[in-house]
Amino acid sequence: MSRPAGSAAPARVPKLRRGRDAQTNGVHYPRWYWQSFAAPAIAWLLVFFLLPLYTVLSIAFGTVDPILRTPVPVWQPWWWTTAHVAEGLDKTFGLFQTVYLRTFGYVLVASAICLVLGYAVAYYVARYAGRRKTLLLVLLISPLWISYLMRMLAWINLLQPDGYVNRVLTFLQIVPEPVGWLEGRGITVILGLVYGYIPYMILPVYAFLDRIDVNLLESGRDLGANPLSTFLRVTLPLSRPAILAGLVIVSLPMFGDYFTNTLLSGSPSTTMIGNLIDDSIYTAGQQPEAAVLILILMLLLLIPIGYYLRSTARTAAAR
Amino acid sequence: MQHPRERRRGMSRREFLRRSAGSAVALPSLAAVLAACDRPGETASREQINLLVPRPDSPVTLPMNGEPIPTDTPIEQGADLQIFNWVDYVWKAIVRRFVEENAEHDISFSAVTTFNNMEEAVAKLQAGEIEADVFFPTIDVVPKLAVAGLLQPLNHDLIPNLEQNVWDVYQNPYYDQEWRYSVPYTVYTTGISYRRDVISDDEIYGMANPWEILWDPSHRDRVGVYDSYRDTIQTALLKAGITDISTGDPEDLGVARDELLSMLDVVNPRATINGSYKRLPQGEFDLHLSWSGDIAAGWGYVPTYTRDYYENLGYWFPEDRRGPVDNDCIAIPANAPHPRLAHEFINFMLDFENAMDNFSWVGYQPPLNDAQPALLTETEGLYSQVSGWAEPAEYVLPWMEAAVVRQSDFDVGYRQAPLSPEADERWNDVWQQFKAGVTTGG
Repeated sequence: MSRPAGSAAPARVPKLRRGRDAQTNGVHYPRWYWQSFAAPAIAWLLVFFLLPLYTVLSIAFGTVDPILRTPVPVWQPWWWTTAHVAEGLDKTFGLFQTVYLRTFGYVLVASAICLVLGYAVAYYVARYAGRRKTLLLVLLISPLWISYLMRMLAWINLLQPDGYVNRVLTFLQIVPEPVGWLEGRGITVILGLVYGYIPYMILPVYAFLDRIDVNLLESGRDLGANPLSTFLRVTLPLSRPAILAGLVIVSLPMFGDYFTNTLLSGSPSTTMIGNLIDDSIYTAGQQPEAAVLILILMLLLLIPIGYYLRSTARTAAAR
Repeated sequence: MQHPRERRRGMSRREFLRRSAGSAVALPSLAAVLAACDRPGETASREQINLLVPRPDSPVTLPMNGEPIPTDTPIEQGADLQIFNWVDYVWKAIVRRFVEENAEHDISFSAVTTFNNMEEAVAKLQAGEIEADVFFPTIDVVPKLAVAGLLQPLNHDLIPNLEQNVWDVYQNPYYDQEWRYSVPYTVYTTGISYRRDVISDDEIYGMANPWEILWDPSHRDRVGVYDSYRDTIQTALLKAGITDISTGDPEDLGVARDELLSMLDVVNPRATINGSYKRLPQGEFDLHLSWSGDIAAGWGYVPTYTRDYYENLGYWFPEDRRGPVDNDCIAIPANAPHPRLAHEFINFMLDFENAMDNFSWVGYQPPLNDAQPALLTETEGLYSQVSGWAEPAEYVLPWMEAAVVRQSDFDVGYRQAPLSPEADERWNDVWQQFKAGVTTGG
């Protein structure tokens, strides 16, 4: 890493270091040179994360225009008011409790389905796809080229009373008459979430499984394990970090998702937290509450992120 | 120049006096600075707030925000007309006609800038992100924008069609007396759209209280309401027999809340925005809360464009016409780049032929004297005429005559007047309880 590509240093100098060595050899890297490589990332974080986050804070602790009922962000923390925060917390532990539980339930089930299906697919591609590996990977990634919204709209067509899903089900006589998938059912929302996010599960798991040393599996066999116990005692424990990464990647956006529910259900009986936030944003005078709900959701999501970071740090330390 | 340390040593009497005088001058300015650091956020006077909650029985005259443009202002040459409107709420063919009629001024029109809800629209106007010539607000937003100085007063001489063509009830509307800032665009009632292949006209019209059909368990999973708190909560109020649909009374709203929660239990309704004009015609709903204009436009969204299929669409509104009736508006933002052209456009949209042709596509009726109810259910609209793929449709299909709005509806119907912030908060609480989908079981 320390050797810059294409450096003009003479070949007899084995290593280039900052400071005097470099200076005497005619190549000078100022102190800020390598640090400056982080500048785009820092600028990105500042502009697209910290600034928006501070705006959300300023709205959550801010006021509302008395005439237009639009949010007035308060930038100076010493003028912040906690009224909206109190109300948001009050609702979180009261009125909205069911919605939080429902959201957690949906995300849990949807992530689990993503994991089971995604793992199986990734396992197959990594171990058994052979020459078709690249083709399969392209096919698996291709849904990501289409916008999430378009994919959900496609599902509306597929799930309609006379859509293909119902046609196949009735043709195979699995159901006697078309199922009203779009009539406000939790199962439809869960399946929509699974469909929308499963590629994000397959890719990290595949990347990891693909790198598992085949010798490890073979030695497992040599030591008398059958295929199942090789999988359970070698492959599965080894892929734990990938499973965690996949779960984090799919479940975090699911928690904030709102238009899967809006498009595929629309029934209040399947409302998720994201829908409550979306509703508040577009209600006069309610935007500070929306900001509070966003902050509460962020705090809740820090728990799984923290667990993931700790667990990966441990795995790294164990090596 | 003295050394800094030397300067600290004592102070002459003269210097003391000079400095005291200085502080005397400085103190008030310090106070001003402190005041500037005061809690951010505007405050509004009681009078201003009162202007925001007009009622038919306590109308408001909005303060003039400057002067209207002079009558002799020439139409802006080479202007690109900027329209800020709901999605699909003006027929582009009519806008293009306006451009053609004003060809001599070399004007153009590229696209309608759209918004999905009023909050978004107001926020964009407030932030100055949008520079629109014409804007299509709801009546509750007109006073807000006018008081906030975001609309410009209209020059009535440039809009002669209003006095000539528009219903008397709109010559001096309660939310904007002397129509200083707005003209009416469309009128509509709020009733129930239904599939006539599932529910017969006799069945719904024969009910003692047809609002109850939205709570009928035999239509479970097939019922829709609007994802719009005023319209859906007012339906619960009306079902319970409360006719003040702008009530702030906590007791009334408690009743509405209970009704809505029971609706969740009984029929698992879906809250939509496109349910009535699009998804009910496509067969996704049996029943939907409906603005008359939505279902009038519904024939344009059916799966097969035949008269036979159109007959599946029905609309119920109380036969004694005691139900919600309202209107939408057109206004000119204060920062409109082409205010003269905007006046011209408004006058154009209040012309009978243009308004009716626009109506044939939008489904929402203009409040014009010549738009007689009989005419509307007997005449094929322009959109139907030019739609080669569809069998002809009247402005309002004859069996949906209830969807025609009459001027007399405004005498007996209920107006959805703007709410005070306190009342609005209560309405929103009810709405959040409904949207959270927390049922009592069952």
